[in-house]
Amino acid sequence: MMEALIQLKIKRQDSPDSKPYWEEFTLEHKPSANIISCLQDVARNPVNRSNQTVPPVVWESNCLEEVCGSCTMVINGRVRQACTALVDQLQQPIVLEPMSKFPLIRDLQVDRSRMFENLKKVQAWIHIDGTHEIGVGPTIPEKQRDKSYVLSECMTCGCCLEACPQFTLTNNFMGAATFSQVRLFNMHPTGAMEKEERLEAVMGEGGIAHCGNAQVCVEVCPKNIPLTESIAEIGRQTFLQLLKNLFLK
Amino acid sequence: MGKFTKGQIEYFLLKLHSLTGLVPIGAFLILHLSLNALRTVGVLPYQLSIDALNNLPFLIWIEVSVIYIPLLFHSIMGFYVFTIAKSNVFKYSYPRNWMYTLQRVTGGVVFVFLVYHVGTTVAPKLWFGHHLFDAAPFLIDVMNDTFTTWTGRTIYLIGILSATFHFANGLWGFCISWGIVIGPQAQRNAGYAFMLFGLVLSVMGIATVVEFSLHPVSVQPTFGGTS
Repeated sequence: MMEALIQLKIKRQDSPDSKPYWEEFTLEHKPSANIISCLQDVARNPVNRSNQTVPPVVWESNCLEEVCGSCTMVINGRVRQACTALVDQLQQPIVLEPMSKFPLIRDLQVDRSRMFENLKKVQAWIHIDGTHEIGVGPTIPEKQRDKSYVLSECMTCGCCLEACPQFTLTNNFMGAATFSQVRLFNMHPTGAMEKEERLEAVMGEGGIAHCGNAQVCVEVCPKNIPLTESIAEIGRQTFLQLLKNLFLK
Repeated sequence: MGKFTKGQIEYFLLKLHSLTGLVPIGAFLILHLSLNALRTVGVLPYQLSIDALNNLPFLIWIEVSVIYIPLLFHSIMGFYVFTIAKSNVFKYSYPRNWMYTLQRVTGGVVFVFLVYHVGTTVAPKLWFGHHLFDAAPFLIDVMNDTFTTWTGRTIYLIGILSATFHFANGLWGFCISWGIVIGPQAQRNAGYAFMLFGLVLSVMGIATVVEFSLHPVSVQPTFGGTS
């Protein structure tokens, strides 16, 4: 079912403060084309449907194999990565929009730093040797490694947050990706040394208590990370931490 | 424990919002619906249950501390939770997202219903003074009148169904938020279990409405039952 032409409808915005507008492009169909290759074609010949030459569309991409998360955008109303969005599987005209929950930079490019700031808040890393050696870490059982591996696939793309009704441009909710990383690093034997600090961080502003269990995060996650399980697990860990804070400290 | 940060207070209030939905408000809803369902057994057991509750010692203090304050707190926090989020159910129409949105809608509906419900049942009692009249004949007459019209019946059916949905679905959310139910399979099973639970509560409520609508019976004050 090859179509000879590809119709693109792109929501554009020239600067963070200017008004958004729609622009349409018609491209030649190429076999196995994806959204990134289409955007590259637009960049090569930025002429819109009214035959005007316009500034090329701005977008972000990096790995082109769905592991970096930078080309995340809303394609035909659904948030996903542009690199794995194959044109032949999409209904035309293909509508491209930037993610709406992050500050817009230009066209399809948004600023996802809020996610990285949240990862810093929860110390989403494992401390390594400092001024002295802390030794070799314990062996991780295979079953646990298997669980951790799925969680470690998170690429901080922002799909779960774009689709979350609790996460908005103006509030400070951390969102599923952050909670899942807290779970990942808390279950690591060396990472567990900072477990309390991580839990205290998600028991604060915009933390775990704001989750409304709409569970859209898990539906849109491109890596099939069990985000709702992570949320429940962090719910349990924070509850136990609360009891500890209230009755044991 | 020292000083708390703004974030810690926010966390604590949200947890308290979640907890008050279960106890005392949810517990009261179960009690309220099951005692009212006594009306389907007969008007006398129903009247005796009203007498029993209305003759509890320190009733007004129980009402204020176990019902009014938690309910008001839960409502205020509910509106706060409602305002900081934005439903996207028409964009991402998954069943759970519908439940999430319905949870907020039913919360608002129940709030409006309760203003009406408390205004027509409890408020006159407070107005006239608790000891000046018998609760059972008064309340039963209010209900008999309400259920003569389809407007009254509809208002109560919407109110009851919203409350049972909000409670049953809220219990499911509670189990996840507090980490009682963790895995996806367990979450799904809990969803079915609470759906069944909500259905049972709904049936009790609907049966009471039906009984009042079909057989309105006025009663006399229960003599000797109040001492």
